[in-house]
Amino acid sequence: QNGAAFSKVRGSQSGQDSTRWHVVRKFLGLISTHNIPVYLIDPLILGLVDKDIEQIRSSPDGLSPECKYFCAPRDFTTFALLEKTWKHEVGLFRTAEKMGFQWLKIINKDPRLDGMDDLSGMEIPLHYIFKLASHAIHLVVFYERSGNFLWHGPLRLKQHMDRKFVPFRKLHFGRYPGAYEKPELLLVSIDDLKVQIPKNPSSFLEEVSHSRFLECRYREARAFFQLYSDDASLDAVEFRKKAKSLLHLAALTLNNLGVKFWLSSGTCLGWYRQCNIIPYSKDVDLGIFIRDYKADIIPAFQKAGLPLKHKFGKVEDSLELSFQGEDDVKLDIFFFYEEDDHIWNGGTQAKSGKKFKYLFPKFSLCWTEFVELKVHVPCETLQYVEANYGPEWKVPVKTWDWKSSPFNVQDNGVWPIDEWDNVIQIY
Amino acid sequence: MEEWKPNPAVKPHKKRSWYLAWKYKLMNQRALRKLCQTGAVLFLLVTVIVNIKLILDTRRAAYEEEEESAQDYDDEMLNVEVPRHPVNNKKVLDVEVYSSRSKVYVAVDGTTVLEDEAREQGRGIHVIVLNQATGHVMAKRVFDTYSPHEDEAMVLFLNMVARGRILIFTIKDEGSFHLKETAKNVLKSLGSQVAPFLSWRDMWTFVGKKGGEVYGEKHAKSPALSTWGDPVLLKTEVHLTSVEDAECHWPDTELNRRRKRFCSKVEGYGSVCSCKDPTPIEFNPDPLKDNKVFDVPVAVIAGNRPNYLYRMLRSLLSAQGVNPQMITVFIDGYYEEPMDVVELFGLSGIQHTPISIKNARVSQHYKASLTATFNLFPDAKFAVVLEEDLDISVDFFSFLSQSIHLLEEDESLYCISAWNDQGYEHTAEDPSLLYRVETMPGLGWVLRKSLYKDELEPKWPTPEKLWDWDMWMRMPEQRKGRECIIPDISRSYHFGIVGLNMNGYFHEAYFKKHKFNTVPNVQLKNVESLRKDNYETEIHRLLGEAEVLDHSKNPCEDSFVPDTEGRVYVMFIRMEQEADFTTWTQLAKCLHIWDLDVRGNHKGLWRLFRKKNHFLVVGVPASPYSSKKPSSVTPVFMEPPAKEEGAVAVPAVAAAEQT
Repeated sequence: QNGAAFSKVRGSQSGQDSTRWHVVRKFLGLISTHNIPVYLIDPLILGLVDKDIEQIRSSPDGLSPECKYFCAPRDFTTFALLEKTWKHEVGLFRTAEKMGFQWLKIINKDPRLDGMDDLSGMEIPLHYIFKLASHAIHLVVFYERSGNFLWHGPLRLKQHMDRKFVPFRKLHFGRYPGAYEKPELLLVSIDDLKVQIPKNPSSFLEEVSHSRFLECRYREARAFFQLYSDDASLDAVEFRKKAKSLLHLAALTLNNLGVKFWLSSGTCLGWYRQCNIIPYSKDVDLGIFIRDYKADIIPAFQKAGLPLKHKFGKVEDSLELSFQGEDDVKLDIFFFYEEDDHIWNGGTQAKSGKKFKYLFPKFSLCWTEFVELKVHVPCETLQYVEANYGPEWKVPVKTWDWKSSPFNVQDNGVWPIDEWDNVIQIY
Repeated sequence: MEEWKPNPAVKPHKKRSWYLAWKYKLMNQRALRKLCQTGAVLFLLVTVIVNIKLILDTRRAAYEEEEESAQDYDDEMLNVEVPRHPVNNKKVLDVEVYSSRSKVYVAVDGTTVLEDEAREQGRGIHVIVLNQATGHVMAKRVFDTYSPHEDEAMVLFLNMVARGRILIFTIKDEGSFHLKETAKNVLKSLGSQVAPFLSWRDMWTFVGKKGGEVYGEKHAKSPALSTWGDPVLLKTEVHLTSVEDAECHWPDTELNRRRKRFCSKVEGYGSVCSCKDPTPIEFNPDPLKDNKVFDVPVAVIAGNRPNYLYRMLRSLLSAQGVNPQMITVFIDGYYEEPMDVVELFGLSGIQHTPISIKNARVSQHYKASLTATFNLFPDAKFAVVLEEDLDISVDFFSFLSQSIHLLEEDESLYCISAWNDQGYEHTAEDPSLLYRVETMPGLGWVLRKSLYKDELEPKWPTPEKLWDWDMWMRMPEQRKGRECIIPDISRSYHFGIVGLNMNGYFHEAYFKKHKFNTVPNVQLKNVESLRKDNYETEIHRLLGEAEVLDHSKNPCEDSFVPDTEGRVYVMFIRMEQEADFTTWTQLAKCLHIWDLDVRGNHKGLWRLFRKKNHFLVVGVPASPYSSKKPSSVTPVFMEPPAKEEGAVAVPAVAAAEQT
């Protein structure tokens, strides 16, 4: 009924679907009349676009001879909307209805208020779905979060909602919340449609596959502080401040090197249990997979003003680095070794040359927000924390011995004396 | 309704037929015994399995709530809609109104909508406004007409109520002592026969329609000065009109829908709800050129004073350069009406469950609001903090836009504030002039994110410490010698008289005559001179230019300052050390400026205007500027008058508190 505006589509090549193209075009029209800046994040289309990216970049107005991207028959096309750039005007939906769209709005609590005692704001829109004929546009709303990143929420249907409005399970976004860098955008013309896309589609697609975000367990953290009141002493405030800035510096340094890291040991426990730095922990602990090890790590930290305090082990075995932060706050980096059914990191006692091993069940990495930083934590955090601290991890323990207290510590022999110079370096 | 709601799909029932088939099989006698045996074993097995699964499931569910729900895109929280009250088709409301010395109540159709039997509270005339079509309570007020001026407030309120609304009045304790003629006449015009003759400790109830019929009135005279009238109970019926009649017929626009929603719920906001020519709720003030604060979030801290909030937001949204998207109103408590006001203006609002009491509660509300503001606007380097009882100057954002870079670049600054504690009608003159002061005035100010996140938030006073947040911020441990930038003429005006630390007398004495800038687009003068070192140069220049006043005259007298305009004068007062404000306080008192604690000083120097001349006061010898004092001049010394002082002083609770 729309009349085929796309000349080649009229030929109706097999496997092509002009409906999709028309719906996308209509949607882009709707969006532009309301001045809403959206960008394309559809993984399938971006995958195709990425292959031709040089050509697309070089001909921003180029007319394409055939419908290559928007005509593959799919149930959805996915776009993103930056909430900050949008004035929530209701007019959009009325126009959409007039154009024949059916639409669905998924709202939920604002996670940016979740950490706060008892604040309740208006629920915020997380996803929109605009359906026309057999095609639907999935519009994912991205919010800015502390830690300079973008966040989108999970898609959860409320009771009264139509579960068959669209095949929700096929959606590319919304199974989990996600965290993303703020993308640079590029206006391109593909299939004769002008759309904004992430400037670097391949790195965006890489992000999509590792975007899962975990919210801190604020409710449990509040319960924890009801049980064990927070330490508000000046010392605690000072330590948290230093630990936070050390973590920020470490994150900056490692991110610049492109080395993936996560919160480990006490820092991870602090996040998981109380959504904060444990004030008596005295150091900041990070984990890095040994496969991500780079020789530049040590010089990079030194350059950032964090001298190496000690280096235990070697790349092949039990590597552990420790850097000296401001006033006694230490940064410990543990390197993790992957085995078939578990992951472990090592420890070394300097005076005896004794080796220790800490075993963890396998885990993947998720993003979270911690002290105004976007950082990784093990997605299977509970198993990780339980492995490390045992079933009593909820109870604060102030006297801690890294050689005996951890739940998952094992003796691992002794370094041969002739290796000591190499594997036990103290500065 | 803007939301498109599909019909819930109906699920087919398959279980039943399977069950029936099984039941028929059971009828087969031959197999019955065997079946029973296997059945029993099977049952046992199933029970065990089900139980194990249940245990596992509960455990998993407890740990992986997220995971589970992520599987099928269902919301984990069953958002069961509360069934609405059936539409009330009844055309008549039963109304009961009770008036007595110690208790009042109002019941509408058996539901108590007002009940007040608290001691020492709620004295005066209680007024309730009902929607004439739905019977919903639209406003509830109490005017303590035993005290002066409250009757004026009541008249103001009644005038704002739309025609046709149902008004219910009842007196608790005493309501006539300061009920003046005007107020009595207004009540009379509403149809009350008794109002003109209401007297000391009479009990009174009245129900009527504004501009229409009277539904009932009861009155009990007080027999003697020392006693109260007998309690009265009025029972009457009110006939409801159609919804159509109760609503205005504004053109159907987005704005008017908001207006309609608001006006059908609450009353007492005057022309915003008038059918003819309602006052606008969108203001579109001129944008500011090169607005440096367009992206700065604005946190409006509010309690349950919706009328104040309404006035405040109107002035805020009318200020040039305002960006409504950056405004968040933080309401301390689950109050509906302030939220209605927020929604009327299309702003976003956040409610905060109260956790603590009095001062500490305000303090916790501030903390939660500030933290939330920086969470919601993670890019922001600053936040503007406002309160619900402030008028905002038309050039508020222009003032900030011109000065905010100082806060970013000069680490010796603590804040920029729109309020000059000493800026009264008779002491402030120059809208383009800025000062540096060692005190933190609050009342419309800008907070640097790094200051909040790195210093204040981590050690913010906990609820059990009953501290005022602003007093705490003024403590040397927090301020660390940093200063605030303020204008000579304030860009905010504190109009609130009902507050935690406020009362009418206090407001009259200290706030009413405060100067407030109404000139748009004021170009600030020499902003760079406000930087730390530049300011010292500037002060020395000023002092160099200043004429020393005749110290033999009485500094409290007008004649102390010559009848000139635009000159700079200086006087020297005694100030033995940094914290010696004896003379200053007395001088402040006689100049009728803020004297409850020391405000507006910079290194023992105060700057204000007298008779349109710049007037500098230097504390000698504590101030580093003492060297400017000619040796011939003896610093003025003033002492507090002996003893009686205490009795006349402002109530202690008000001391030094402006919030």
